[in-house]
Amino acid sequence: MPPSANIALSLTGVSKSYGRVRALEDLSFDVTEGKFFVLFGPSSVGKTTALRTIAGLVRPEKGSVHIFGRDKTDAEIAGRGVSMVFQSFALYPHLTVYDNFAYPLVEEKVSREEIDRRVRETAAMLKLDKKIDRKPNTLSGGEQQRVALGRSLIRRPKILLLDEPLTNLDAKLRHDMRAELKRLHRQFGLTIVYATPDELEALSMGEEIAVMRDGGVVQVGTPDELYEKPRDTYVAGKIGSPHMNMIRGKTTRDSKAVESGIGLLPLARKMAGVVAGEETLLGVRPSDIRFAAKGEKGVAASIAMLEPLGDVTVVSVEAGGETLRMVLPESAAASLQPGQAAYIYLDPQKFHIFRASNGQALS
Amino acid sequence: MTAVRTSHSAIALLDPSADNWKLAILVGIAATILAVLALPANATFWVVGAAVALVAAAFVVNAYRKRYYGGLLVAPAIAVLFVMNIFPLLWSLGLSFFAYQSNQQSIRFVGLNNYIKVLTNDIAAPANWDALINTGMFVVCTVAAQMITGFLLAMLFAKQFPLRKYLLILVLTPMMLSVVASGVFFTYYFDPTFGILSYAMGEITGQQFILMDNKAGAVTGIVFADAWMWSPFVMLLVLAGLVSVPKYLYEAAAIDRVSKWRQFWTITFPYIRGLLMLALLFRTIEAFKLYDLVYILIRGGQDTKTIAYLIAEIANEQNKTSEGAALSYVILFMVIVLTNLYLYLANRRNQGA
Repeated sequence: MPPSANIALSLTGVSKSYGRVRALEDLSFDVTEGKFFVLFGPSSVGKTTALRTIAGLVRPEKGSVHIFGRDKTDAEIAGRGVSMVFQSFALYPHLTVYDNFAYPLVEEKVSREEIDRRVRETAAMLKLDKKIDRKPNTLSGGEQQRVALGRSLIRRPKILLLDEPLTNLDAKLRHDMRAELKRLHRQFGLTIVYATPDELEALSMGEEIAVMRDGGVVQVGTPDELYEKPRDTYVAGKIGSPHMNMIRGKTTRDSKAVESGIGLLPLARKMAGVVAGEETLLGVRPSDIRFAAKGEKGVAASIAMLEPLGDVTVVSVEAGGETLRMVLPESAAASLQPGQAAYIYLDPQKFHIFRASNGQALS
Repeated sequence: MTAVRTSHSAIALLDPSADNWKLAILVGIAATILAVLALPANATFWVVGAAVALVAAAFVVNAYRKRYYGGLLVAPAIAVLFVMNIFPLLWSLGLSFFAYQSNQQSIRFVGLNNYIKVLTNDIAAPANWDALINTGMFVVCTVAAQMITGFLLAMLFAKQFPLRKYLLILVLTPMMLSVVASGVFFTYYFDPTFGILSYAMGEITGQQFILMDNKAGAVTGIVFADAWMWSPFVMLLVLAGLVSVPKYLYEAAAIDRVSKWRQFWTITFPYIRGLLMLALLFRTIEAFKLYDLVYILIRGGQDTKTIAYLIAEIANEQNKTSEGAALSYVILFMVIVLTNLYLYLANRRNQGA
């Protein structure tokens, strides 16, 4: 594909293996300039290798890496205009915060006054100005994280790579740092590629998310696209919490409904590509199930388990051999008891149909 | 309370049980005094030995009865240490205050006379001072050679390359050889008639080349042989430091576009500094004792006698045992002062950094 002007980063068919282990398999994606782009997938899916390939720490066996339209597949690390924050932070343990910040600048023949100004500016921005003479091992995890970020930002890279930067932080800090990262992204207009196995991080920060599996990209899209139109059961299972309910079934002869263990589930519209009598998985999100209203035709079910999460409660119900989860406001679930019988209503507008054989979405 | 304890210990002191080590010490001291007063010197030696054995036995039985098995288990090690190290050390310290020659029977207390002699005597002292200067020169040259070679070898072997494992074994071999073996090897190497060095130099210059025919050449030969043996030791220590540097630091530095030179000084060096200091300390102490190579390669010729060589010569060849002991203690004192000074500086630096 011709590299357009505002594509900051483009990977095409990148493959890399370590011995017999395939780390990347035909990985392709484009990142538009200024985007907060998330590589999302479970651990050992190749996210880190993808970032290292972009940075130039890893040479791919096949495929190419274009940065701002230039082929940088085999270019030196130095000329890429890319900066990276490692999962381990990789702070220089024998240098103070000040020197860690100044480290990338000294090489650039920047004057002492300019270095000093930028170091202090960066430290102030990351609220590290009081810790500037400390060594990294005397700082807390969150502070170390900010030092690592500052060191990457200080030489104003065009592209910033973040490799699971919040994994080593506790829950409260993660929340703060998510906001912090978003703020920095907006402030600098940076192109960020962010690798994470955490769904919440991906959805809350990513403007665009690439869901990865086995070293390749399954689907790229905005959080909404991934949520509304997952390409297959893998994406559907990864995005959205609690996970999407999957009901095994078979399409009826007229392809207007799915025959399943919990009864006949009519489809809202005729779906293209649905073959009559085909084995399918019908996905429905927990938020798209509710109790049937009076006079509405519901599915008979019994309540199995309640998981109160504060303002919402996850209710597991059993119906026709399937266990379905639904999310209810806390007030609606307050009076429920396990074992209680109920009628539930599945919103046909929100059904996702997948082919059972390969998990691909049918639409 | 106090009275009870006193009477109790008074009874216990005279109780002739096998674990009464206080009584054993008393008996030992009494026997020693009696032997010194009444018996000839060589009999006294065995009486004192028996007294020490008695005290040791009392301690062992005491430890066994009190179920102090930890002490019991280290007892053999302590015994060996005592017999092989502490006893000779104290013995020679005692000897240095007597006039004694190993080939004569007479022994006479002379106080600090031996020390005064080795440091100020018109005939003995100049040789000692010369040997000390030689030792200083060898310490500086051999340690510098070993540190530089060892460090460079470590930098080389920190990287992966084909046959690295086998080359590493080869490089480490000299350290495991006996000094005598490698010394003999180098006598052949430097030999004026069949030696490969003289042969090669003769081919190049057309003249006969004898490395050991002047002081500079002799020192070079000794320093070379010593560095050949002990550079691998420095290399091992530095290598241990080099492999402990987390790899991601270099990756981060590469992304920060930092030059290799600065990467070395800011990332690598802090990790190996402590080990370099340790290598320096070990090798300096060892270099102070340089004797074997000087003896094997040149027999102390060409004015290469070190202080250790001189001590061996005085004590073993000239049989001036107590004089040799006195000189040994002067050197020991100097080494202790030097190493403590070094440790003080190293610690201060660590705290400052």
